[in-house]
Amino acid sequence: MKINLFKLKKQLGEQGISFCYSGPVSKDLMNEISEVFEQKMKMEDVNRTTVGKVFSMIVEQIENIMKYSDEIITDATLQEELRVGIIVIGRCEDDMFFVMTGNKIHNHKVDKMQKKLTTIHQMNQIELKQYYKQQRRKEPDKDSKGAGLGFIELARRASCPIEFDFEKINDTMSFFTITTKFKEASKCKI
Amino acid sequence: MQNLMIKATKDSPEINFDCSTHVLEIKGKMYPEDAGKFYAPVFQWLNGYLDQLEDQECVVNLEIIYFNSSSSKALMNIFDLLDDAAANGKNITVNWKYREADENILDSGEEYQEDVENLTFNLIQI
Repeated sequence: MKINLFKLKKQLGEQGISFCYSGPVSKDLMNEISEVFEQKMKMEDVNRTTVGKVFSMIVEQIENIMKYSDEIITDATLQEELRVGIIVIGRCEDDMFFVMTGNKIHNHKVDKMQKKLTTIHQMNQIELKQYYKQQRRKEPDKDSKGAGLGFIELARRASCPIEFDFEKINDTMSFFTITTKFKEASKCKI
Repeated sequence: MQNLMIKATKDSPEINFDCSTHVLEIKGKMYPEDAGKFYAPVFQWLNGYLDQLEDQECVVNLEIIYFNSSSSKALMNIFDLLDDAAANGKNITVNWKYREADENILDSGEEYQEDVENLTFNLIQI
C-alpha cells in the first residue's frame, strides 16, 4: 500500500478542508481541536460571534461522537472505552464555515434519530427557540447522555438547516453523517 | 457555612461563591466532561446557601465565554433555583455579563431573562 500524503493534503485543500481526523475521540482531543480552531479564527480576524458559533458546532458535534458512536474500542476489563468517528472542518466556496462529523450507529437507532432530526430540520428559528427552551426545562430522554439539546443547539447555531444522512453498512450498522454550516455575518474586526 | 471555590480549567469555569459577602461568581468556559459531576457540588452549595439566606442582597455575577448544551441546562436549573428563592422573598440580582460583539452570550442571556419571573436579571456589556 502506498499513500501519497501530499496528494491527499492537496485533495483536502481543494475541497476547502482545513482539518480532518478519523479515529478514536477523547475529551482532551476535543478540547484541543476546538481551541486550535478558536485560535486560528481569531488570528484570521473572524468576528467574535462567528468564532463562538463555529466553536460551539465543533464541540457539540464531537460530543455527539463521544456519546453515541457505536464503534467502540475497549480494554479487556471493559472499564475504559473510546468511541470512533470522523471529523472534517473547513470553509466552502461561498465562504461558509462547515463542520462535518460521522460515526457508526446500530440500525435500530436510525428511525428514532431520523425522526428527531427531521422534526428539527423542518423548524424555523422561532420554532427552534421555543423547542429548545421547552426541552431545556424537561428531563432528558432515558437514552440521552447529556441534556438532550445537542441537535437543537446545532440547528440554532447554524445559518442554514443542518444536513444529515444515514447510510446502511450491513445488517447491524449504519453510518451517520451530520453537517452544519455557518456564514460569517459581518467582517467587522473586534 | 463555607465558601465554595473551584478553580477554572480549560473546559470548566471558575466558581467563587462567597457566603459572607453574598457575591456568587461564575467565570469562563463551561463544557466540562461530566456535567452532572461538575455541577453537583454547585447545586448542593446553592441549596444550603439559599436556605440560610435572610434579607441580605445576594448578587450573582456571570461572565461566561462559552457554554455547551449540558451546561445550558445546568444554568437554567441554577436560575430556576434562584427564581424560586426570589419568589419566596429573597433579594437576588443576577448580572449576566457579555463581551462587546458577542451576540451568542448576549442572546442566551436574553433567553434566560425571558424565562425567569422574580429575579432581577441584568444584561451588562463589559
